Order: sequence, then structure tokens, then C-alpha cells
Amino acid sequence: MVDQAAGQRSAQSSPSVRNAVVIGGNRIPFARSGGPYAYSSNKDMLTAALDGLVARFGLQGERIGEVAAGAVLKHSRDFNLTREAVLGSALAADTPAYDVQQACATGLETVIGLANKIKLGQIESGIAGGVDSASDAPIAVSEGLRRVLLDLSRAKTTPQKLSILRRLRPRDLAPNAPTTGEPRTGLSMGEHQAITTARWEISREAQDELALNSHHNLAAAYERGFFSDLVTPYRGVTRDANVRADTSMEKLGKLKPVFGKDLDAPPTMTAGNSTPLTDGAATVLLGSEDYARRNNLPMLANVVDAEAAAVDFVHGAEGLLMAPVYAMPRMLQRNGLTFDDFDFFEIHEAFAGTVLSSLAAWENEDFCRNTLGLDGALGKVDRSKLNVNGSSLAAGHPFAATGGRIVASLAKALAEKGSGRGLISVCAAGGMGVVAILEAREK
Amino acid sequence: MRDVALDSVPGLPSLYRSALLSSIPLPWGDGSAQRTSDASAAALPDVRHRVSGVQAMVGDLTRFQQLIGAPAQDVLPSGYLHTIAFPVAMSVMARKDFPLPLLGMIHLRNAVEHRRVIGFGEQLDIAAWAEDLRPHHAGTQVDLVTEVSSSGAVVWTGRSTYLAKGTRLAGPAPEAKEERQPFTAPPLTAVWNLPGSIGRSYAAVSGDYNPIHLTALTAKALGMQRAIAHGMYLASRMVQETKPAGVDSFSWSIDFRSPVLLPARVAIAVAQQSDARGWQGAAITGWNQRRGREHFVGRLARLADLHA
Repeated sequence: MVDQAAGQRSAQSSPSVRNAVVIGGNRIPFARSGGPYAYSSNKDMLTAALDGLVARFGLQGERIGEVAAGAVLKHSRDFNLTREAVLGSALAADTPAYDVQQACATGLETVIGLANKIKLGQIESGIAGGVDSASDAPIAVSEGLRRVLLDLSRAKTTPQKLSILRRLRPRDLAPNAPTTGEPRTGLSMGEHQAITTARWEISREAQDELALNSHHNLAAAYERGFFSDLVTPYRGVTRDANVRADTSMEKLGKLKPVFGKDLDAPPTMTAGNSTPLTDGAATVLLGSEDYARRNNLPMLANVVDAEAAAVDFVHGAEGLLMAPVYAMPRMLQRNGLTFDDFDFFEIHEAFAGTVLSSLAAWENEDFCRNTLGLDGALGKVDRSKLNVNGSSLAAGHPFAATGGRIVASLAKALAEKGSGRGLISVCAAGGMGVVAILEAREK
Repeated sequence: MRDVALDSVPGLPSLYRSALLSSIPLPWGDGSAQRTSDASAAALPDVRHRVSGVQAMVGDLTRFQQLIGAPAQDVLPSGYLHTIAFPVAMSVMARKDFPLPLLGMIHLRNAVEHRRVIGFGEQLDIAAWAEDLRPHHAGTQVDLVTEVSSSGAVVWTGRSTYLAKGTRLAGPAPEAKEERQPFTAPPLTAVWNLPGSIGRSYAAVSGDYNPIHLTALTAKALGMQRAIAHGMYLASRMVQETKPAGVDSFSWSIDFRSPVLLPARVAIAVAQQSDARGWQGAAITGWNQRRGREHFVGRLARLADLHA
């Protein structure tokens, strides 16, 4: 599985590329779907997050090299969502932008794409980001009505038009709303994860404990002011609305299972150890070292490397959200690193079961040998270094915004520590996953 | 076997209409309706119906491909060849000398050999005949064989097995009812959420307007609880979702164990079989999770590539 031919290299030692640094980030607090942002569109929220970033780093009227962002649930009118948000922001109107869509990995992928452009000298600065609204989701007309409307627009004569209109049936007036179901399997993400959770025999208690840590860590990070320069209030919301500082194992233990109820194994996944549908937006300012120095901006961390993977979940060969498990050894091997070389692990909590299944897979000798093609178990992640400032179970998960939240928080944690490396792992719909390495700037 | 050349592929609706009419015994009728109760002196008509120069219509093809979730490529899905060719087999079943009643026959099985990629513009020659009339513990079974050729070579062969329930043959005693193992659900890999309208949608793209698929009312009239999904919809979707792209020569079969009453949530398990040479085949099960009851089991297998 591991691409031996790629060999090992250090991104820093490569002479032809320069460093891409994380300068900072800004996001709006994440809110539960149907809550305070219920009437804000993706464009509204992305613009708000961009404007907060502009204010934080004095970018008013500045032409940024490029802005890349995206949304997973997107209206067809939002074909140029990021460019439209830039035009609505305080950035210079001649700042170019492009949209990215890689399901829940969208936000992380925008960071990787722009960091690569900076490393190659194509741009000096970039803003990566993402936004999603589960409240303001697009609703499409039915296939029947859509076909009729399209054929009608092409019809020339009245008899033609009448005969097309006669095809319309009452059921064609019912709209289509988006779902979290995988198009090829018809299973929701939670149902997919329930299969994986059962396969790795992850207990209810272990999942609730991970959720509890996420809430406590996020609440503690707010208490010590960790997010004061990462989050800008929006619509009266000042911190992530989903966080429950006072939750407990007892409270989490009382929730009824919601996924995996049709499986043979007892269901373990609840609303407490699964992420809720969330609205929010996040952005990250990236630049070359030159750019940061010239503008007197901080340099929090280097973007070192990244790797994407995908698995065949369609035919049940692997779980839907397990692709990061495959991406990780390829990236570590290329960089000559092991889990012991990292001080922070940011593993996106789509579900507590996703994180715990990934950890179990990396610790499993047989799986790593026979499925990943490694010499032995990849290794154990030190749980005291995992999601230390909370993750998606507590903060919520506005799909495309999660990557920006993680990158900005991890870069800040690395800058606070002043040394070391951080590892990011994000799973995505379609059986995909993206992992990345950040490292602290040498002082 | 005598060849009967037809001018064109007959329309299924008219075949159903005449089948419906001939199943009603009328005092001035020609007596053909009586065959439903008496197949004792039965023999299959010794004929092969043929239609030549058949070509897929690209608009129909696209709608078929989209309904089964296939990319709209310029090649014919295996299930679509059945759609194009099967009316010729139906015309054999609709013959007055065919010993079993066309309406109400139960579709038990399909087995297909798909020999090579078939382009949508190819001129296809279709031949169909009935064979292997045999007793079944619940009635009488028959195979309808459909052969599709292009430029003189057979490219697709389909064998559909039907059961005429309650129709008994003279001759050998029916085989004993096979003891089926109690069903244990395999690991779930997908779910097909089939809306109540799927029978009407598939009828629109396949031309198969058998009333048992259309509405609960028309299905009840023919003894079904509710409308049921077309077997060939299930089969076409199974092949589409299971066969890897690039495998051009393959066989597949599907055994129908219980009808899929619409609307339905069909649990699906796919077990792929690969070895060092790549994909070799797959086993597919579709079942009802609530009732723990199988709807169908299917198999796909790579065929040795004859044209390599």
C-alpha cells in the first residue's frame, strides 16, 4: 500500500520550494442548524468570517494572492460562492478566488492547495476557508418538474408547450431536499459509521468518554481565552453554541442510540457521540515568510505536507469514513515520521466512533500488516495529545468549515508551545479522507 | 425448430392487452383461455421468433441508464439488452399454442451471458424461444431464451425462468420442495430506498407495463398485496452497482426469492471476489431487514475474454 518509490524526503530540505506559513485564522462561532444563523446564507457567513479575518490582520483593501473556499451543501446560484463572498468583503475587489468541494475535507483541501501555491512561489498570500449551512440548505424541484421546465424552455410552438405541460403530475410539485445519505449506498453517514463502529467493537462508554473530553476541552479552551483571536462573534453568538461544559458521562449515557439499530451488534451511537448538523464558517490566512515579515504578521506554523486517500466503501471493502487510516502511513513514511514525533493530534470527530475506529486500526498489528501493507502496527496515539482544544463533537461540524477551524486552532496551539508538530486527520463523504502535518516555527 | 421472422419488436402493452383478453373465457371465444387450466397435453411451440436490425433509441437508453444509476455511456447496460430483446420472448409466450398462461406467471430467475461491450448504435438481431418445460412443486416452469447477435456473432444470451403457479403437467412428478436454510443476514453494504413510483418509472423506461408493477390497485387485481418492483430493475441495478468498469465479458444471474412490495427499503450486501488476476465475481443478497426475509440472491462472474 505504501508507495515505496516515493521514498523519504523532508519538505523543508527540498531546495526548490519555500515555506508556507499559517499566519492566523478567523471563524464565526458554530451554531446548531435552525438556530441563530437559520436565515444566514453560505455567502453571508463566509463573508462574515472573511471580514473578521480582514479586521484581525489589517487586510482592508488588500489584494490577496488568492482566496479558496467552498461549501458542501451549495445552491446552484452559488457557483462562484467564494468570489462573491470576496466581493462582499473588505478585501480588494481584484482579489481572485475559487471554489473547492471535497465534502468534509473541503476546508483542509483549500489550505493544502493554497499552501502549495505559496510554496511554489505562485502567490505570496492566500486565504483558505469553508462554510456550510444546514439551515439554509438548497431545495431543488423534482426531477419531473425539472425535465418539464427544461423541455419547455426549448419548445418553440404552443402545441409543443402544451404537450410538454401535460406531462406534469401532482407529485412533480414535491421538492427534493438534500440528505446526508451516500448516493451509491443509500445509507446515511451515521449508518455507515455504525457498521464500522461495530466492526472495531468500539464501546458506548469509549464513545461517550471521547465526546465528554471534546466538550470539556473546548469549554476549557474558551475559559482560558484560547479562541479570543480565532473567533469573531456573529448574530449575537459569541462562542460555539453546541458546547456543553457541564455534560457528564451520566447525561451522555442517558441518550438513546440513533444509528446502527438494524445491525446485529447492540447500537452505541447517540446524538451525544455524533456531531449535530451545524451552521458556520472558518477562514485561515496563509502566506510566504516574506509576506508575513513584510506585513509584520505572526507566523504560527508551517504547512509541511498532506495526503488524500479514498476507500471502496461502496462494496463494503472498507468503512465510509476510514480513508484517513490509509492516507496516514503514506504521509508519515514520506516524511520519515511516526506518531511519536507529534505533540498534537487533531482527528476530526465526525462521530466518536470514527476517531476511535481509526485509532484502533492504527494500533492493530494484523490490520496494519495485511490491509495497510506495513511491517507492523502504525502506532498508538497518545490520548492526552488528542483534540486538546476540543473538536467537532463539541464545536459542531459545518462540513466545509471544519478544516479551517482545525488548521487555525492547531497552528495556534503549536505557536503557544513554541515547538513540535501537529497531525490532522479529516474523513469525508464518498469514502475519502485527507491528512496533513503542521509544524511549529523555530524560535 | 421453425423460424418465424417478425417485422419489428412487438410492443409489450399490446401483448399484455391480448393476454388479458385471452385469459377471460368468452362463450364465443376460440377456447384459448381454457389452456390456463389444462396444460396436460402440453408441449412448447417448436418455433424461434426472430427480429433483425434492432437498434437502441438513445433517449430511451439515457433514461434507463439514469434510472438504474448508470453513467449515460454509449454502451448498453446488460439489463437494457433484456429490455430491448425480451418482448420477442414475450411474443412466443403470447402465442395461442403456448401451453401456459402469460398473465400471472411468476418470474423466478434470470441468467445472462454478456460476451462483449455492445455499442448503442449496433444493429442487433434477436432470436427467442421457449424450452425446458418442466414440473415445479407449485406448478410448471419454463425457460425463455433470448439471444442477441451482432454481425453474426452472439453477444448476449438471456435465460428467464418462469413459473405458472397451479398449472400441472402430465408426466414426471414434480420435484420435491427444496428445503431452504433459514436466512441469516450478511454484513450490510447498502440500502435501496425504492419509492412507490419505481414500478411506474421502470415501466416508462423499459416498456414493461405489467399491471402488477404499476399501482397497488392493479397489483391487487392480480393477487398481489401491493405493487412489486420489476425483477429486471433489481437485476439491472445489481449488475450496475457490482460489476467493475473494464470487465466487459461477464455472466450474471439472479434468483428471486420473494417479491419486493413497494415502497420498499431493500437491504443489500455485496461480497466481491478478487484474486491476483483482479476481480473474479461477486455475490449479492437483497433482503427485508424488518422481516428477515430474502428478496433475491445474485451472482456475477468474469467470463474468459473470448476476444482477447
